[in-house]
Amino acid sequence: MQQTSSETKYLTEFYHLPEFKGLEGYKKNGGYVDLEKALKMQPQQIIDEVKTSGLRGRGGAGFSTGMKWGFLPKNDEPRYLLCNADEGEPGTFKDRMMMEKAPHQLIEGMIISGYAINSKKSYIYVRGEYDESINTLATAIQEAYKAGYLGKNILGSGFDHDMDIYRGAGAYICGEETGMISSLEGLKGQPKLKPPFPAVQGYLRKPTIVNNVETLAVVKYVIRDGAAAYKKYGTEKSTGTKLFSLSGNVTKPGNYEVPLGYPLKDMVYTLGGGFKPGRKLKAVIPGGSSAPVMTAEEAMKATLDYECLAQMGTMLGSGAIIVIDDNQCMVECLANLMHFYHHESCGQCTPCREGTGWLDKIVHSILAGKGRMQDIELLIKVADNMKGKTICALSDAAALPVLSFVTKFREEFEYFVREGKSKVKGVAYVAHNSH
Amino acid sequence: MSPTTLIKCTINGVELEVAQGKTIIQAMTENAQRIAHYCWHPGLSIAGVCRLCMVEIEGNPRVQIACNTMVTDGMKINNTSAKVKDAVKWGLDFHLINHPLDCPVCDQAGECGLQDQYMEYGKYDPEMAEPKQRKRKVVDLGPTVVLDSERCILCSRCVRFTNEVSKTNELGIFSRGDHSEIGTHDGKPLDNKYSLNTVDICPVGALTSKDFRFKQRVWYLKDADTICNGCSTGCNVKVYFNKEGVFRVKPRFNEEVNGYWMCDEGRDTYKVVNKEVRLLKGQKFANGQWLPEMHAGTAVKDAYQSLMKAAASEIAVVLTGQHTVEEYEAILSNFQNTFKTKNIFHWVNNPEIFEEFDGLLLRGDKNPNTKGLLQILEKNGIKNPWKNLEDGLKSGKITHLVVFGPENIPVFPDLTAKVNLFTTAKNLIYFTAVNIQQLRDYSGNNTVTKIPLKTYVEKEGTFINFKGLAQKFKRATTLVSEALTGVEAAQLIAGHEIKVVGHPDNSLLTPASTRKDQVTLEHRKKNEFLFTRGRL
Repeated sequence: MQQTSSETKYLTEFYHLPEFKGLEGYKKNGGYVDLEKALKMQPQQIIDEVKTSGLRGRGGAGFSTGMKWGFLPKNDEPRYLLCNADEGEPGTFKDRMMMEKAPHQLIEGMIISGYAINSKKSYIYVRGEYDESINTLATAIQEAYKAGYLGKNILGSGFDHDMDIYRGAGAYICGEETGMISSLEGLKGQPKLKPPFPAVQGYLRKPTIVNNVETLAVVKYVIRDGAAAYKKYGTEKSTGTKLFSLSGNVTKPGNYEVPLGYPLKDMVYTLGGGFKPGRKLKAVIPGGSSAPVMTAEEAMKATLDYECLAQMGTMLGSGAIIVIDDNQCMVECLANLMHFYHHESCGQCTPCREGTGWLDKIVHSILAGKGRMQDIELLIKVADNMKGKTICALSDAAALPVLSFVTKFREEFEYFVREGKSKVKGVAYVAHNSH
Repeated sequence: MSPTTLIKCTINGVELEVAQGKTIIQAMTENAQRIAHYCWHPGLSIAGVCRLCMVEIEGNPRVQIACNTMVTDGMKINNTSAKVKDAVKWGLDFHLINHPLDCPVCDQAGECGLQDQYMEYGKYDPEMAEPKQRKRKVVDLGPTVVLDSERCILCSRCVRFTNEVSKTNELGIFSRGDHSEIGTHDGKPLDNKYSLNTVDICPVGALTSKDFRFKQRVWYLKDADTICNGCSTGCNVKVYFNKEGVFRVKPRFNEEVNGYWMCDEGRDTYKVVNKEVRLLKGQKFANGQWLPEMHAGTAVKDAYQSLMKAAASEIAVVLTGQHTVEEYEAILSNFQNTFKTKNIFHWVNNPEIFEEFDGLLLRGDKNPNTKGLLQILEKNGIKNPWKNLEDGLKSGKITHLVVFGPENIPVFPDLTAKVNLFTTAKNLIYFTAVNIQQLRDYSGNNTVTKIPLKTYVEKEGTFINFKGLAQKFKRATTLVSEALTGVEAAQLIAGHEIKVVGHPDNSLLTPASTRKDQVTLEHRKKNEFLFTRGRL
């Protein structure tokens, strides 16, 4: 294990090697050894191992992976394994790096996972814009087929597994697992009512497990090192390492792998390299655009694990840390987010369809210097009533930033309404045409 | 069927026993509990998108949608708490922010789900200060339906209807977010035999019927239950009328017959009952000219006089499957007793497609009561081939012909041919509801008497549908007061005075009070916005 600065290179140990992308380079560095090991284990053993490891979904929800697998009904076949590579959460770009630098890592993790849950078919649903990821994966899958890691009777174990790539069309909502299933089925990418949950009735109404790219890749390492060794990283309830996509006003943005429980302060100042001269921290969005924003004060106390961030009223999400310095206008930041959610709402559930548009319009009217004082309260009311009222979490994802931005930076919003211009930038913006 | 397990639950403080596997919304609507909803429809799959049917379940901190939550044993549910009311109020508000305030010119006003809910949960000033989304107006979806996208609340009922019931898949929701719109695919308009059901189930004024829109304000209409006379399925329907006439026909739920739906053809049946097309008075053609109109009763008595002069073998009667069981009974008994004739013939309008069935509701036999007529003819031992009538008329053996003509003339393609045949009789007595062109234009040497009949909305009686189910219906309204029912006509033509006969108790019909679906209907009425309108 190689340690640079204070990064912990566990998953990303060989990412600096260009050859790691190809089958040969991958095998030279420990590739597919763990698949052989896994195929000699009982599937249930693998599930138990993953359960014990405490691995939690890396896509955003942070649900126990082993437990999710355990929801599959017995004896209902075929079962499907879907890899969620529709990385759409603003601020997140870790899956892309994983697919482009180490496609075989994902493929190996998926075959092991497929074996564990007895699935003979898996799909990687890749975000439509990720051209290079798709090409890299396609080459890697071909290599894996040729080498006998995919197809019939893998490595003589009697286990068959086929893998395909499905290219999304660039809708954020298809990153939601049931939205992804709809899209994969050839339908409009809209989340489905739950229950039934995908583990019971998913793709083509068959039991389906949807896991994030990083989650599936980690499975290989849980098998390699065992649950106990994996648990040495991270905290008690947030085990292992995690890739964080650091972006915003830091001088060294990028993907960083650290053990969970890593201080956010170090992430910003040590790994991220701090700010440009004269600037200072104002706010941090710790887990992708849907996570409630933290003030600088809160951020300095936070550690990057599920419990700490939940306790502070926000979430780890997909691990996308967006750093905002004191040169940014929070009204403008929120307007940017609201435009995104308005654009991406699938339009199925009324509160989200109408609410995202409403929020977008209110924030943009404030941004244009045309806000009314009651708009600030209205933002909170609308967001409050969008929370927990819809089929999927997109409505919550739009509401949470509003609630946190407006409550924590209320003064900036009030200034904007009162003075008709930004407190930070001293200007208003031309009325935005929000479709 | 396996016996259903009943489980106990408490809804708004009322303890109920419901069948296992029911959703909360089913349990509530079937037990006369009010619950707001737009997207849920008992005849369609669950969409769960309007988010209005919120309920609070004890032990669950978040409000849940009633349409996708199963009742479990001992569940305590309420939808009257402040929390639920606030959730519904906001749910409604989200529906309204982009909805145009055009109720004064909207055809749905008066039977609109948004208006109803606003009166119950809303009554506040709008907080939306931003410009509304603009969408397409007056979109021609097909031959029967017009769409106003701005009014649409995207409940997806119409889309699910075309996917699941008519299975024609014409409609879809296009675009995303608040730009979403209902629409059709290029070159494939909404054109199927059940398309107008989408208008019925549309909770707002987004889909309107080309036939009905702008004809009447719904609060100027009354409604009454009856049976469609469009084909032998016998769909349970409601007719909507006022003193100007009948304006539309909508389906009424009956699990055994038509479920929640009816066909577009059946909706047109009101067009032959309104005054404009009806025969209003009796009239006689004699000595080469139409005599002045006379009272229907006078015309029948005059006909009676002419028939009394004829021998039994010279008299023949023609019946179609368009009349009620009671009418057939009266006609048969009076003609057999008074005129001693057994020359009774069945006019079959479209025998070649009689057995056709489209798999949903539409049947080839376009008469509501063919089965009833056949049963009565058989009971009376009458089986006369149509050829006998043709021969009899040709040879002059039959000189006096009494025809109880069809009411729904669009389904009688052979009307002209048949009328031409009938007018070869020396003395034709033609009972008809519709003032048919073929008789109006008659000029010849024979005597023709046309006498007005009442239509299915103006009388009571029983239709027996294709599978032998007898369905009794009541009079809805009277449009031509002088017109006679078949029963009255039969009595008068036999020289009797009109006797008011009540329905016998040993009716073939199960009394409404003991029919489970009827009970359900009563309860559903209180809940379903769409079907409760039209009272004055």
